[in-house]
Amino acid sequence: MKAAHLLNRAGFGGTPQEVDRVLSLGPERSVDWLMDFPDAPAEEQSQSDAPDLSGIQGVPTSFREIQMQLAGKTPDERKALQQQIMAANRDTTNATIQWWLNRMAAGAYPLQEILTFFWHGHFTTSANDERQAMLMWRQNELQRRYAAGNFEPFVRAISRDPAMLDYLNNNQNRKEHPNENYARELMELFTLGIGNYTEDDIKQAARAFTGWGHDGEDFVFRRGDHDYGEKTFFGRTGNFDGDDIITLILRNPACPKFIAGELYKWFATDDIEPALAQSLGDVLYDNQYEMRPLIRTILTSQGFYSPQVIGSQIKCPVQLVVGTVRLLNVQMPPLQQTRGYLTQMGQMPFSPPNVRGWPGGHMWINTNTLFVRYNTGLALAGGPLPVLDRITPKGQDSGRPLAARDLRPSNFDPGSIDIADATPEEIAQAWVDRLIQRPIDKDKMDVLIDAAGHGPLGNPPARRVVQLIVSMPEYQLC
Amino acid sequence: MFDNVTTRRIFLQKGLTLLAVAPTIPTFLDQTVLALTDPSDTKRTQQDSGTDGKILVVVQLSGGNDGLSTVVPYGDDVYYRARTAIAQPADKVLRLNDYIALHPNLGPMKELYDAGDLAIVQGVGYPNPNRSHFRAMDIWQSAQPERDVADTGWLGRYFDNTCPGCDPHVGVSIGETLPLAMQGEKVMPLSMENPRAYRYNGRDQSHYLKLNQLDQPTTLPDVETVDIPQIAGAHPITTPASQLDFLHRTAMDAQLSSEEIIRITTNHNSPKAYPAGEFGAGLKTIAAMIAGGLPTRVYYVALSGFDTHAQQLQRHDTLMTQLAAGLSAFWSDLQAQKNDDRVMLMTFSEFGRRVVQNASNGTDHGAAAPMFVLGGQIQQGIIGNHPSMTDLDQGDLKYLVDFRSVYASVLQKWLDTPSKPILGDQFPILPLVRA
Repeated sequence: MKAAHLLNRAGFGGTPQEVDRVLSLGPERSVDWLMDFPDAPAEEQSQSDAPDLSGIQGVPTSFREIQMQLAGKTPDERKALQQQIMAANRDTTNATIQWWLNRMAAGAYPLQEILTFFWHGHFTTSANDERQAMLMWRQNELQRRYAAGNFEPFVRAISRDPAMLDYLNNNQNRKEHPNENYARELMELFTLGIGNYTEDDIKQAARAFTGWGHDGEDFVFRRGDHDYGEKTFFGRTGNFDGDDIITLILRNPACPKFIAGELYKWFATDDIEPALAQSLGDVLYDNQYEMRPLIRTILTSQGFYSPQVIGSQIKCPVQLVVGTVRLLNVQMPPLQQTRGYLTQMGQMPFSPPNVRGWPGGHMWINTNTLFVRYNTGLALAGGPLPVLDRITPKGQDSGRPLAARDLRPSNFDPGSIDIADATPEEIAQAWVDRLIQRPIDKDKMDVLIDAAGHGPLGNPPARRVVQLIVSMPEYQLC
Repeated sequence: MFDNVTTRRIFLQKGLTLLAVAPTIPTFLDQTVLALTDPSDTKRTQQDSGTDGKILVVVQLSGGNDGLSTVVPYGDDVYYRARTAIAQPADKVLRLNDYIALHPNLGPMKELYDAGDLAIVQGVGYPNPNRSHFRAMDIWQSAQPERDVADTGWLGRYFDNTCPGCDPHVGVSIGETLPLAMQGEKVMPLSMENPRAYRYNGRDQSHYLKLNQLDQPTTLPDVETVDIPQIAGAHPITTPASQLDFLHRTAMDAQLSSEEIIRITTNHNSPKAYPAGEFGAGLKTIAAMIAGGLPTRVYYVALSGFDTHAQQLQRHDTLMTQLAAGLSAFWSDLQAQKNDDRVMLMTFSEFGRRVVQNASNGTDHGAAAPMFVLGGQIQQGIIGNHPSMTDLDQGDLKYLVDFRSVYASVLQKWLDTPSKPILGDQFPILPLVRA
């Protein structure tokens, strides 16, 4: 149960082989094993394992280049070209998301990917606003490089990240009219948490970030737009620029406490006492913002393995889908279909609801999403395919919605996982062990055993049991 | 195979034995028991028929709607000096008096105003306004600006106060998540995005139902429990058992509402077409539910995209068109159903925007802003004065009407319930409803 717990929280759920491996390694060496990944983007790890970006080759990425290509064209030609650019970017963003979901399900470093996903919700950007596929991909790679790295260069890099500069409007932050969006979210959501700065600190920090922009994929500092005047921030006065502001934020004791608390909540539980947040913050601060010691501390703590924590977290939709794909050993559906599942559950990667990312916890569950979660599990387990008639294939704002004929049935084959020729009791127990990984109420086990023995005809016993397990409240938790 | 009537009968029978094990009884069952044990209770929020009670529809404009581009102070030069690139021209706006006018794309709402069904409350806000989207949204939804972390919303507390054991149909939120405003401690309203997908698809319904309906509190075998000290003032500690209880409750509520909602929303015809997109589809679903006689008191739907920091004109204009087209189609629908006298609709946003435009031809987060109130029994007109364009708080409009006054008026004058237990204080009542 504890081995499965580690694999659920520090990854996307463990197959029996992985659970065995964790059992043989023990808790400390298992964490070593899970943390044994390079602090590098995917493209540096392997040249062959990266999304197909060929669709945007030669497609302009900077405003200047786009203007040059549009110059001298008729209005109709301009419109056609703009639509072509948008379609190329949309297709490539979709290819990136599909690649990422596959990497989560089948890649070598699940902890790196779940951390990358954590940072995607933390330093978030939406592809609905940042339509340049290349810039979304660059941000994703940045988050992978620093997934367990050092928070200081990470926050400096994210402040220069073109997608972020677009998303929070810093590209338009000029000294004549400072745009406060980035400065506010940097403190409220990215580093300190609400209550640790004043409205005036935001105004002053916004001035310090004036002139930080980008040209296509490159960060640029526009001297003419930068405010070189004196600013007073956190009670200090000086000619601060954005990096000085970040330095002062990182020296604020609220910062390590906030970041450590966010990671603890992600891995363990939302219930975090201030004293615990403080101690975890100290671990981060004492290690000069290196995050590996902190992550190791969390994943090897007694609290992480306490009965209140194991099985108490509502799986986020991405965990639910990726984990189900892993545990049932099925193919990840095509993105148009997965988009339907994830959008209806409230968590489409690259489409956070707003700059706060996804709120999580009880917010994942209501009468609507619970049906979607059950129906998604059913579909992945070879059951009926759901109605996705509010979803367009590529995620466009308008267009033909998905029809039943667009959906691909799951290739789930319970026989391929070796528990054939078993009694109803054995079948039910084997699949509960594999999918829920914790003991369940005896009455419910009896229901599953009954279903294995007397379910509707036309569905073999193991398939009946699996389709029911993924439709249980217990399966929603990890 | 699983119609609601049978279900209710089953729960009614089971209910008497379930009374003793309160933690996991579905919210629907609570009410059944309540009705049986206290037949003299006349304050039930839900009417039996669902066709005669009053209804509130809340429209959330997410992202911070620019009030000054919505109800435009076209009679004030300060407005045109502050908004050199993005002001709405005086010859295009739809004049309400010699100072304010509606955005040019709000024509259909001007018609509702002229017909006597629309009111505008000006300069709504609260003391020490917060300019963070999330905090400000939490404040509007919780109506508890003084609390750092709010657990319940004003509508959730309305449900808790008026009928703690209500059927979850009492509130319906259109969308993926249940807004804080609708969250209470005793009642969990329904969320529903697409009525056609609001059902369990599995073939083995009988085993599925058994796995999702508990007739006893959750017990987990083989797990020792350890006392973890509770954090002062925080939520109850989350445990595997508490999470399972929560999931079971939700599963039962979902199952109980599914067939009825599918039946009601299928083949609903509206006289006017709703605008494309989630907002229009959501309003249409609400109109269908009202037509179908669902015993719902509060509906909630959102229109998003108002965070116009850059290149505001085109984006905001499109949103105004969507808002007006949606409300207009919705109102025609209710009028055709003859349900317009039973419905009040109100709009709100987490804040307005700064008076002076920014360098990106957009506007930054501001404070006070107007609200719209639509209804067959509302007092048409303009409530309150427009906030001063020159006496500002950090560049933002100062509020003149506390938003809790609007809520108090809705609760007392429309939903016929005392507002103080819900809002924590007695706020002045506005003339929103015709006497």
